[in-house]
Amino acid sequence: MEELGKIHQLIIPLFGHNMVFNLDAIVFTWTVMLLILLFGVLSARKRGMIPGSLQVLGELFVSKLYDLTEDALGREMAKKYAPLVCALFMFLVLCNWIGIIPHMEEPTKDLNTPLSLGVMGFFIAHFVGIKTKGFKAYISEYFEPFFIMMPLNLIGEVAKIVSISFRLFGNIMGGSIIILVVSYLTYSILLPPFLNAFFGLFVGAIQAFVFTMLTVVYISVQAK
Amino acid sequence: MEQDIQTWVKLAAYSGAGLSIGLGAIGAAIGEGYTAAQANSAVSRNPALAGDVFKSMLVGQAIAESASIFSLVVAMILLFSNIPATSFITVAAVFAAGLSMGFGAIGSGVGAGFPAGAACIGMVRQPAMSAKLTTNMLIGSAVCQTPSIFALVISFILIFSDFGSHPLWPTWGAMLGAGLAAGLSAIGSGIGGGVVAGASSEGIARQPTSVSSVTNIMLLGQAIAQTPAILGLLVAFILIFKEFGATDTIAPAIALLSSGLCMGIGGIGPGIGEGIASSGGVKWIARNEKEIGTLTRTMLVGMAVAESTAIYSMVISLVLIFVV
Repeated sequence: MEELGKIHQLIIPLFGHNMVFNLDAIVFTWTVMLLILLFGVLSARKRGMIPGSLQVLGELFVSKLYDLTEDALGREMAKKYAPLVCALFMFLVLCNWIGIIPHMEEPTKDLNTPLSLGVMGFFIAHFVGIKTKGFKAYISEYFEPFFIMMPLNLIGEVAKIVSISFRLFGNIMGGSIIILVVSYLTYSILLPPFLNAFFGLFVGAIQAFVFTMLTVVYISVQAK
Repeated sequence: MEQDIQTWVKLAAYSGAGLSIGLGAIGAAIGEGYTAAQANSAVSRNPALAGDVFKSMLVGQAIAESASIFSLVVAMILLFSNIPATSFITVAAVFAAGLSMGFGAIGSGVGAGFPAGAACIGMVRQPAMSAKLTTNMLIGSAVCQTPSIFALVISFILIFSDFGSHPLWPTWGAMLGAGLAAGLSAIGSGIGGGVVAGASSEGIARQPTSVSSVTNIMLLGQAIAQTPAILGLLVAFILIFKEFGATDTIAPAIALLSSGLCMGIGGIGPGIGEGIASSGGVKWIARNEKEIGTLTRTMLVGMAVAESTAIYSMVISLVLIFVV
């Protein structure tokens, strides 16, 4: 049970401060990025009217997510933001699925990954808000319905980052802790593959979708 | 002295185990009963489909029961595993683990009954959609389990971590607070998520063409209805992993305990409320799919307002942790 909550860290002292690198998260984030690049190259290499199996998969991903973005943001903005949404979903799905391979860890199990993606979504949403509404209208929204509500509105906005990133982190880390504890209790007999299928494949896909959808929705709420 | 701690840890583990499965049995039983009632009414409407309805009732009930099974697992671990007793903090941690899982299983159990019941009714109304309905029910009730999974994670951390190096005062208050925050705040979100999933199963049966947009909005609504549980998880994490300075007064420990209570109880209402708000959205999107944009926006704004009380609770519990 010693693995519970253990993180492999590389600590480099620099100018009196310690720079901390969470090695697992970094290594497997790069693994996921390489896998996505590989998928992109392979699926687009031999394009044709009669698509190969990888091309079908790629087209399915892109067209479904494009439609989803278009529903929420409208035709004009979808052109700009659909690639982001697509990339976000593919990255998260692979991140959540990679943990079912033995000796691999989900990068999303490290709070830093979901938190940084959540902060990214937050900044994009507010950038869109300022761009479409203008700075004045954007700021005045914080003072609604009363002037005194400003601090609470601000906290509410920050709570969005907390909730979106902790949702992903909690689900993925929870799944892996449950798998770890149950495997330990049953001596890894019979149950772990089913748990991996449920928490890794099923919950992983749903949470990746939810994260992506929420990012799109935060952008669309700011845009309107 | 060593013997003494061991006895107290055993005592706490036994009472924690009792609370865990005792409280954890409440929710799932209610949810399963509701599903069975709906299945009966479905069978009486269309007896020819009794076999399909029976199957989906059993599947739905099995999922509703998973929260209780989590409680059972925690209770078994508390009863049979050899918990290392290093300090009196373990006593509080073990008891809090039982509390967290016990309370945390209530909401998800009740909630997962709603989609299963609605799917049974929907199946007889729209037999051609029974495969889609089953998928929707499975997704909806699986997402419903998330709050109880959060509570389970907090229980496991409380049981298996070693707090020997922390000062007894006020850490024992933080442990109890963490269990209460994660457990109680999961109640509302579990029920709320179930209400949303039920509305979506009903909506799909009414308007089969709307299946993809209804499922999307259901996931969105459930995810946002889980925010109070996530805030509870956050407060629990802070309480468990923050190192508190040793004191010899009683006030800091009680402040930490009440910060957990504040977040936990404060999260119940918003979770249910947001679930109701979102169920309205999902229900009417199924009936009037053309207005999906306006309906979604209204739903989201309504949910954000209902959520504000959970945020107030979080602010107060953070003040209790960091300021008081």
